[in-house]
This record gives sequence, C-alpha cells and structure tokens, in this order.
Amino acid sequence: MKLKQKTLAMILAGGRVDDLGVLTFHRPKSAIPFGGFTRVIDFSLSNLMNSGLERVAILSQYRSYSLINHIGIGSAWDMIGRYRGISVLPPYLGYGHSQWYRGSSDAVYQNLDFVQYINPEQLLILSGDHIYNMDYREIINYHREKDADLTMVCLKVPMDEANRFGVADIDDEDGERGGKVVRYSEKPENPEFNWASMTVFCFKPKVLYEVLEANINEDASYEFGRDIIPRMMRENRRVFGYKFKGYWGYTGTIEEFWQANMDLLGDDPPIKYADWNIRTNMEHRNIRDCQPLKIGDNAQISNSLVYNGCIVEGEVERSILFPGTYVAKGARVKDSVLFFNNEVGKGAELNKIVSDVNTTFDSGVRIGEESKIGSKEITVIGWNNFIRANTIIGSGCTVYPSIPSQKIPKLVESGEVVR
Amino acid sequence: MSSSEDTLVLLLAGGVGSRLNILVKTRAKPAVPFAGLYRIIDFSLSNVMNSGMKQVGVLTQYKPLSLMRHLATGDAWDFTGRSRGVKILPPSTGFMDSDWYKGTADAIRQNLSFIKAHPSKEILVLSGDHIYQMDLDAMIEFHRQKNADITVGMMIVPESQIHQFGAGITNDEGRIVEWEEKPKVPRTNLASMGIYVFKTEYLLNLLAEDKDMVDFGIHLIPKAITRDNVFAYPFEGYWRDVGTIQAYWEANMDLLKDDPEITPEAWGIRPNPESEQFVTDRIPARFATGSKVRHSMISAGCVIEGEVVNSVLSPGVKVGPGCRISDSIILHDCIIEDGAAVDLAIMDKRVKVGKGAVIGAGDNKDVPNSKYPDHLYTGISLVCKDADIPPGMIVGRNCIINPWCKQEDFTAHVLQDGDTI
Repeated sequence: MKLKQKTLAMILAGGRVDDLGVLTFHRPKSAIPFGGFTRVIDFSLSNLMNSGLERVAILSQYRSYSLINHIGIGSAWDMIGRYRGISVLPPYLGYGHSQWYRGSSDAVYQNLDFVQYINPEQLLILSGDHIYNMDYREIINYHREKDADLTMVCLKVPMDEANRFGVADIDDEDGERGGKVVRYSEKPENPEFNWASMTVFCFKPKVLYEVLEANINEDASYEFGRDIIPRMMRENRRVFGYKFKGYWGYTGTIEEFWQANMDLLGDDPPIKYADWNIRTNMEHRNIRDCQPLKIGDNAQISNSLVYNGCIVEGEVERSILFPGTYVAKGARVKDSVLFFNNEVGKGAELNKIVSDVNTTFDSGVRIGEESKIGSKEITVIGWNNFIRANTIIGSGCTVYPSIPSQKIPKLVESGEVVR
Repeated sequence: MSSSEDTLVLLLAGGVGSRLNILVKTRAKPAVPFAGLYRIIDFSLSNVMNSGMKQVGVLTQYKPLSLMRHLATGDAWDFTGRSRGVKILPPSTGFMDSDWYKGTADAIRQNLSFIKAHPSKEILVLSGDHIYQMDLDAMIEFHRQKNADITVGMMIVPESQIHQFGAGITNDEGRIVEWEEKPKVPRTNLASMGIYVFKTEYLLNLLAEDKDMVDFGIHLIPKAITRDNVFAYPFEGYWRDVGTIQAYWEANMDLLKDDPEITPEAWGIRPNPESEQFVTDRIPARFATGSKVRHSMISAGCVIEGEVVNSVLSPGVKVGPGCRISDSIILHDCIIEDGAAVDLAIMDKRVKVGKGAVIGAGDNKDVPNSKYPDHLYTGISLVCKDADIPPGMIVGRNCIINPWCKQEDFTAHVLQDGDTI
C-alpha cells in the first residue's frame, strides 16, 4: 500500500535551553523565530515534507502553546490526510504510570502505545531544535541496507568543541557515507573522537521497545544521548553512524543562534535559504496577510533579509527583520535580528541585538554601540518591552520580557541584566 | 449579530476589462495582480468577509481559470464551514434559456437556483473590479432603515469622469429621482460604484418581469426609480476602477505615497498566497550589499542587487547588479539581468530581461501605441507573461511585447516608441 507511511517520525520539541535565556522564557526552543519568517522547527518539518515523510508526532512539554499554535492542523506542510498528519503528544495523566516527561527517551516511552498503533517499519526520532537541510530518505536507506538497530546521523565538529555533544567513533565500513559506531561517549571531558550526534536517529522499532523497557526498569535517567545509545553499545546492538556533511545550526547559545541567522546573509551565504524548500505556517501570526515591505524615500537596506509587512524608512545593514517591524527615519539597525512587530523609533541605533516580539525602541535609543576594543557581545531584549527615548544600553546585556518601561534604567552598562 | 448575516452576496467577476490589454490576455480583470501580492478581487472579497457576510457566489465568464485557482476553497477569506461558503458560478447550458451571461442582471437571473438555495433577506451585488475598502454591513443597515427596495452605493467623482459611470440625481432624503447611464453631458457628480443591495423578493420579481432587461444600470435601475424605493448610499474614501493601464499604474503608485490613502493590510484585505502554487514559502526579500531601494514596495522572495526606485515588485523578482528599475510594476518571478534598465513599464509574470537591455528608452512619451492608441499613450510600456527579451535590446515608450515572445522573435535591436512585437 503506497499511501501508508512506512516511517513514523517523532520530533523532540519540548525542551527549553537555558543558554538561550529570555528567548525561551515563554516558548520551547523549537518555536523560536528564525530567519525573518520561520520558526526553528520549520526546518525539521520541511525536511520531513521534502523527504516524503508525512506521518509525524511532536513530543512537547515545555510551554507548548506557541508550538501547538504554530503546528496548527499540519496543512502548512501538507501533512493532512488519512495517512498523513502531525500529532502533538503532550504529557498526560492516565491510569498507569503517566507523568511529566522525565527525559527525551521517556517522552517516547510514554507514547509507545501511539507508536505501536501506527506500527511503523522504522522510527525516525529527531530534534526540532536545529537548522539544517537533510534528506532523511538517505538515512533510512542506509539504515535498511545495514539492517541496523540504530542509525545516528553525525557531523564532524572541531575536537575542542566535541565536549558539548554526544560523540561517536565511526569506522570506515562505508567510507564517506558512514560506518559502524565503535565507541560513543556523551559530552566527554576529554574527547578522543569528534563525530557529533545531530540528534537524528533511525531506530528499528522492535529493538527500541526492548531498550526503552530495560532503560525504564533499570536506569535512573531517560535520555537518548546519555542512556539509550550507551546502553545499545553495551548490548552490542547494531549501531551505525551516517556521516552528514552539510550545514548544521546547533543554535544552543545566543551567539550560535545569532550566528546561524547571520549565516543567511552575505554574498555566498552558508545557508542556501531559498534552495532549502522551507515552509512555515503562514497562518501563525497571520503573516500570509502582510502587504509587501514598504521602503521609504531615504531608506537604505544592505546585506539583509526583510519580510512582508515591514516598513523601513531608516537604515538596515546586515540584519534580519520579521513581519510587522518598523524602522523609522534616521534609525539605524546593524548586525541585528528583530522578531515580529518591533518598532525602532527616529534616530535609534541598534547594534548587534536580538529582540523578541512586540518591543519598541523609542527615538534616540542606543544599544550596543561600536566599542573601540574588539568584538562586541550580543544584547538580547525579551518580548513586550518599551525602551524609553534616549535610553543607552551596552553590549552583552539582557533585558527580561515584559518589564514595566520605567523600571528599565536609562543607562544599562555592558553585560548587565535587567530583570 | 450583524445584520448582514442574512445577506447573500453575488460578486460579478466576469468582466473582460479589455482596456487592461496584456494584463487580461490570460485572466479575467478581477484576477489581475495588484499591489505586489494581491489580486483585484481580494479587495471586494475581503470587504465582504470583514462585513460579516457568509455566503458568496462569484459569477465568472471570461477566462476564469486563474480566478478559480485563486478562490480555491475560500479558506483564505474564512469562507469555510457549514454556514459559510464561496462558490464559483459559471454560465451553463441547461434545459431552458441558458446561455452566456448577457449582462449584469442577466447573470443574476441565470443563477436563480443559487439564490433560492440560500434563503436571504437581501441580495448584495457587487463587482470584483475595484480597489477600495467599504463597510458593507453599514450599507445593509442603511438599506433596512430606508426600507428601500434597491440601495445603490454611490460616490462623488469629478464631473469630467461622470461619463464612465451610472449617474444619479438624489433628493434630500437620498432617494434617487433621476438616473442616466454613462451620460455624455454631466448633470451630477454622483456616480454608481456598481454596488447594489436588493430586497431578495423584490429582485426576484423585478428579474421575472422582463427577460430583455439584462443590465442593472441600463435597464433595471431606470425602471425602478420611477415606481419603487431606490436610495443612494453615499461612500467617501479611496475607490478606484483600475480598468485602464493608466489607472492601474496610478493606483499602484498611490501605495507608495508617504501617508497613502490605500493601505491593503490595514484595510484587512487578504491575499491568497497559496494560489500561486509556489511549492515552498517565499523567503524574505534579500537585499545585497550595494543594492539601493527607495520609495518602493518589495514582496517576499525578491532578490535585489541593483537599484529600485518608485516601483512595486511582486514576489520572486530578481534585480541583478547594475540594474535600475524605476516607476514600474513588476509581477511575479521576473528576472532583470545585470545592467538592464526598466523605466515606466508594467511587466507580467516571469519576464526575463537580458543583460543591458533597456525597457522604456528615450524621453518621447507622446507617440501612442500604434495598435492600441487609446490604451497606451502616456509612455507606459507593457511586457507580457514569459517574454524573453534579448540582451542589449532597446524598447521604447508605449510599446507592447506580447506573451511568450522568444529571443528570436526580436528581429531588430530597437523597438521604436509605440511599436508592438
């Protein structure tokens, strides 16, 4: 039967990431706006759509409202139909052992009845937190070819960064394509190998059921990277690594998030945005109803991405503007990412900031001014703030969401946190 | 509950709009793109949506394909659900008296079954040809207050333009006492907007009276004012019939003004981006280092490397380095290659302008187009869908380049002012 999908994809989208600070105060990481109109999870969802995998479940627990809102009925990714669809699976209370998800693998474990009901030939489990373009069919094909119990997709990272990831030592069984995982360690202090797991796993369902059951019964922690993969290595399961060579935006910190956005810009951007075939839910925040970007008489836009629904009368350089953002005459936005509905008043100057939705910078505000000593750090402004006229905020500052405007000092020194 | 819930809407979208020339070669006038990412019909349809009406019939006749694709299920305007809907009503042959629509009233007459299938107190007839924002619910209220049989939406226009419209003379209470269709000598400046509210029963009776009455403005209104309650509902605000190339160009340029009278997004006008059938979503417009854009509207998916001034660009337009686009309207996915210049032009979808080509060359805007002197006489040049203009080609003023022109169709390097390929 052609219609019925042989693969079930489960997206881990529940996590908030401490290092992303105020951006994840009110939403999971996967729902953070990225690249001028999309959300982080759109990359995973579009990859699935482009790979023809249209039976999807989303595991979500932290602040899932904005995520649920974004997924809608799944039609944005054509995932509607008798055998196509996106199911959001939040934690639930039930007769048995139900409770909050205690980890990524527990989230899957608690939904095994759903998985068994779908009864897929393989189970693709991936994180909804990363920016990349991948054809999962290649991984599934490799997985089936090797008759693997688990195929994990890995990317070579610099050795001195390997301690942040789960890393695998992959043999050369299939050369450039991949090989058997001979060693694996989760966030090792002194890494000896550096194929980092991208949190894209293809499992043989029967094996996963066994391993999850054993994990729940015997272990005290329930994470794929920390517990499930090491257990499978111990049990001598067939674990393979597929070597990925493209762009991967991990976006685990503000710097990485900002950098991934900047990777959309330049003459030869690392992210080929238009070629990645990304779809978002255009009904979320009604961005489908935005009129074209309006550009004023004295505006100047350079090396930037600006979506419909913006009005630019000032200067924008190396920046990304989401719908509904207004840049007044004489204002200057540089090296910045402004989420939906930001307002930049006359003569305001924003340098290297990430500003969450619905924030106004009144006239003459200056943030992150060019310092004479080397590189600046990013200033992050939480949502629903009003920064009063002529306020000066340094670089590397954080302003918490929804602070009463008079509580934001008129002078915030570099590195300070306003809460 | 808004009073308009009991109102059935019939939207006339069959107009050829032939004075729009190349823009209506492959589509009906209501389907002509406008303001970057809208189509003209979005304005009427969104007004209907925002006024709370639930059932809409769209009467089509001329080249309805792109219109049908655009309306799709109606979900772009929330016309979905058990009680809401938008239906395409094409002419059809049947057991009796079926034929092409012979006029506005005839079109309604041929759809009596649709009217009867959707019981209503009033029928609102409007056209899908105009750019405006209007609270139609308020017009229904007015209609009921006056206990009118017919209410006609009317607005004041310059006397010099009244010859294009149905013209009405009203008394103190707003009753229409005299009517002239497209008068040669102006006696009033009150013009019909082609928006009518009828009591449903009244309209059914009126249509049954005489089958030779096929047009509202020419036949039915003049007869009705002599014996029935016909009122004018005054409208004030921005309203344009973008039925000519010049008017179409001017209305697009109105969008660019500093404090514009026309603001589609603020008006609540909804486009239907899905009808483009573009497989993925358009990414934000990309502005390269060194690009220069002023006083313009740019849609998502555009890539700007050159200069754009005083122009409206639809989604997916690519402007190469060293190009200059000025005073122009460029529709979806046109590619303007390096060093080309486009001035005072309207370009339909997917036109390719080769390197260094010039569209709108020279300063002589006085030679009208030789084939269509009454369409093109102000200097605007038109380029049709999918035309492929060779590098270095020079195209003058008031020129027309027809659809699917290939590079080899251009026999000379220069297209003189007023010429057509």
